[in-house]
Amino acid sequence: MATLNLTLKVWRQENAQAQGRIETYQAKNIPDEASFLEMLDIVNEELVHEGKEPIHFDHDCREGICGMCSLTINGVPHGGKKVTTCQLHMRQFKDGDTIWIEPFRAKAFPLLRDLIVDRSALDKIIAAGGFVDIRTGSAPNANNMPVRKKTADAAFDAAACIGCGACVASCKNSSAMLFTSAKAAHLNLLPQGYPEKNKRVLAMVRQMDALGFGNCTNQYECEAACPKGVSVDNIAKLNRDYMIACASEAVGVFS
Amino acid sequence: MNDIITTACKFVTSSIGRKILVALTGACLLLFLVGHLAGNMTIYGGCAPCGGKSWIDYYAMGLHSMPSWLLWAIRLGLLAVFAVHVLLALVLKYENYNARTHYQREGTLKATLSSRTMVITGVMILAFLLLHLWQLTINGDPANCYEHVVLGFQNPVCSAAYIVAICCLFMHVRHGVQSVMQTLGLGTRKVRPLYNIVAVLFALVVCGGFISIPLAVLTGILH
Repeated sequence: MATLNLTLKVWRQENAQAQGRIETYQAKNIPDEASFLEMLDIVNEELVHEGKEPIHFDHDCREGICGMCSLTINGVPHGGKKVTTCQLHMRQFKDGDTIWIEPFRAKAFPLLRDLIVDRSALDKIIAAGGFVDIRTGSAPNANNMPVRKKTADAAFDAAACIGCGACVASCKNSSAMLFTSAKAAHLNLLPQGYPEKNKRVLAMVRQMDALGFGNCTNQYECEAACPKGVSVDNIAKLNRDYMIACASEAVGVFS
Repeated sequence: MNDIITTACKFVTSSIGRKILVALTGACLLLFLVGHLAGNMTIYGGCAPCGGKSWIDYYAMGLHSMPSWLLWAIRLGLLAVFAVHVLLALVLKYENYNARTHYQREGTLKATLSSRTMVITGVMILAFLLLHLWQLTINGDPANCYEHVVLGFQNPVCSAAYIVAICCLFMHVRHGVQSVMQTLGLGTRKVRPLYNIVAVLFALVVCGGFISIPLAVLTGILH
């Protein structure tokens, strides 16, 4: 088992109002099979032993499916290895590396403490339209409801979004287009969600705009940073669907 | 009618709506570039068989012999398209800047340099456009277009300014072409690499064509 000695440059900030700063910590004897969060646990244990305030960070399932862990590692959310921070292993780093750890930054994600940000803006986008209004029952039996294979695959790929917010944090404009488009596409593509497609698209896009996210400039940083590989095809689809929804609303196809 | 106006207002104030307007006006300007380049290429046509004037002089005089209402309609139309493109892009950029909190250490995975410098290259192109209009439209003479262009480009400073500006145009168009397709909802992972190739080829042909003129003058091919 190889061990690593690392220098950490960590963003520390007591609360939303406090002035934040980068502090330097030494992470010694980190096993290379530790996850990134376990590495922080080891550092925090030492800090606690020394009577210092541990580094605060978000985490929950630690198996890459809940979307709770965040951290921008060396300027890239989740470290840019197509996995969540909890699934990023220290073997990805070399002995003696300096690692910059910052929160997911965006105005729409107000910082709470150290590396913890409030991502409830994403929940507000879901609350605006990321649901189906009626009871759709439990999962239907296979092939009971005809869905083209390609459509089902596209909906499933969009549904893989865990809502972690890496797309927003990686975007040079702090745009939430990848998140919003994935959530909209996932429902719009399937028979249960299709009837409310126009209403959903308008509500979610308008909520996204109201929350102060930036505007997409098609740089595709989001797709590259997404731990679930959600495709920017969804953004193109949202642009398309938004045009259709506006046209429908203007001429009163639905009210 | 009310519904149409309400929706139209919401569309032109929404993020996607404004992006679509920037994309559509950008597409118009790309078409304008093609037309402009085709016109410019007449400079290589040499002298017309009769009258002793260059083809580009006839082209310039042809443009000016349009009915003045049509000429001004085209000019004002272009101005409107350009104004929408520039103003909306600047407003979007301002919002984007304000939506961010900056990292102490920035990282970039795949955003191209051209995509990250769209506003800078755009403003450079705007400044160049003013120079260009001042030099060749306001102070130009359609009957002596060829001579005017060649004399202008024999000044290395003038040629250098044009070449730098066209390089900015290259970067702007290289991101712009594929961005238009994505914003208009025509991007999928199958065709996106193709759009990238088309964008680079389009930018190479258009900007290569424009740059060739000052280079040809500087190297003495056109004199």
